[in-house]
Amino acid sequence: MDAEASRSQITAALARVAAGDRAALRMVYQDTSAKLFGVCLRILKDRSEAEDVLQDVYLTVWHKAGSFDPGRASPITWLIAMARNRSIDRLRAGAVSRRMASIEEAHAVSDPAPDAVERIERIEQHRRLAGCLEELEARQSAAIRAAFLDGVTYEELATRMRVPLGTMKSWIRRGLLKLRACLEA
Amino acid sequence: MSDDDTINPADRGRIVAAEYVVGVLGAEERREVERRLAQEPALATEVAFWEERLAGLADAVAPVAPPPATWARIETTIGTPRHSSLWQNLAFWRGFGIAAATLAAASIAALFYIGLVPQARPPLLATLGGSAGQPNFVAAVTATGDSLVVVPAALLTTDQRAFELWLIPAGDNRPRSLGLIQPGQPIRLDIPRDLAGRLTRDATLAVSLEPPGGSPTGAPTGPVIAAGKLTNL
Repeated sequence: MDAEASRSQITAALARVAAGDRAALRMVYQDTSAKLFGVCLRILKDRSEAEDVLQDVYLTVWHKAGSFDPGRASPITWLIAMARNRSIDRLRAGAVSRRMASIEEAHAVSDPAPDAVERIERIEQHRRLAGCLEELEARQSAAIRAAFLDGVTYEELATRMRVPLGTMKSWIRRGLLKLRACLEA
Repeated sequence: MSDDDTINPADRGRIVAAEYVVGVLGAEERREVERRLAQEPALATEVAFWEERLAGLADAVAPVAPPPATWARIETTIGTPRHSSLWQNLAFWRGFGIAAATLAAASIAALFYIGLVPQARPPLLATLGGSAGQPNFVAAVTATGDSLVVVPAALLTTDQRAFELWLIPAGDNRPRSLGLIQPGQPIRLDIPRDLAGRLTRDATLAVSLEPPGGSPTGAPTGPVIAAGKLTNL
């Protein structure tokens, strides 16, 4: 199924969910739960925590599908944002005992997996993001990617990449400003 | 943000939306952004911009199929009534109307006795009483241990709120939702696999009144109108 068909199908299903249609929720779940579970798991690094958050996300979809505005966001964006926000909140609440940042992780941060970059580029609608990220300094785009995927704070990023907190904030803020200008251009 | 004075104030005001979406803010800063989102449409637009534009980064995350139990729990919580063939055959229950808990309990016991339900172990029953001690529901764990039959023993209330059934396992105070039940008719609920082992003697079942669709928080939010312990018949 192409992205556009999938998008309109999920949007239609969400409208039915808002009307209390359980079968429609199941459809949304079938189409999106593996993606969302991957996102939660990446942030929380704990299966049972990720399962809790995933369940919470779809229960929120059940109750709040009416607040989804297809004019404002694509349904998958809405769902991913919800999954990430819940996971990050759970992470901040300290419910998960996080692994210590290791040297491997520091490497992973400074050198993102090449297939990650490829996958981004493969998809037409994300080509621009990939292009704009490439215009940033490598360490800036690596820090932004790592923050987005792992949901970690400035403090943890600074520790991982072994730079002072102020430096990390500056990298990311400047990177984001530049990214915004590029995405808008 | 005094640690980065070279970014001009207008940009700093905007960048917080990006910081929120990227996920670098601490818990308190996140709450602050969320409070502002409700009142500042410009900030909300900025957050939406970043959510849409950065969503592609999530493509780097491989999908992982969640375990089947996760959907089962969601389905149970939103209260999909699943009438088994057993209950379809026993539609006469509704016609009779159940006046008293004793009758309901006796009827469930009879099901086990006459062998409609294969008897693998002694059936577990609970009478869920209200604050005045009156029996409101009778619940029985089926012999296979993977579903629960709940029979209303009396018409309790005309309250339009949803009736949600909770399991409070023995030696554990956190209620787990078993799904929505009906005040006017028997219902059979599948028990999520991870909870099946916790439906033991001395576990408590309770019913609370919740908004339509059930508790939005995963814990009881409304008054508990009935509760009782599981015991062997």
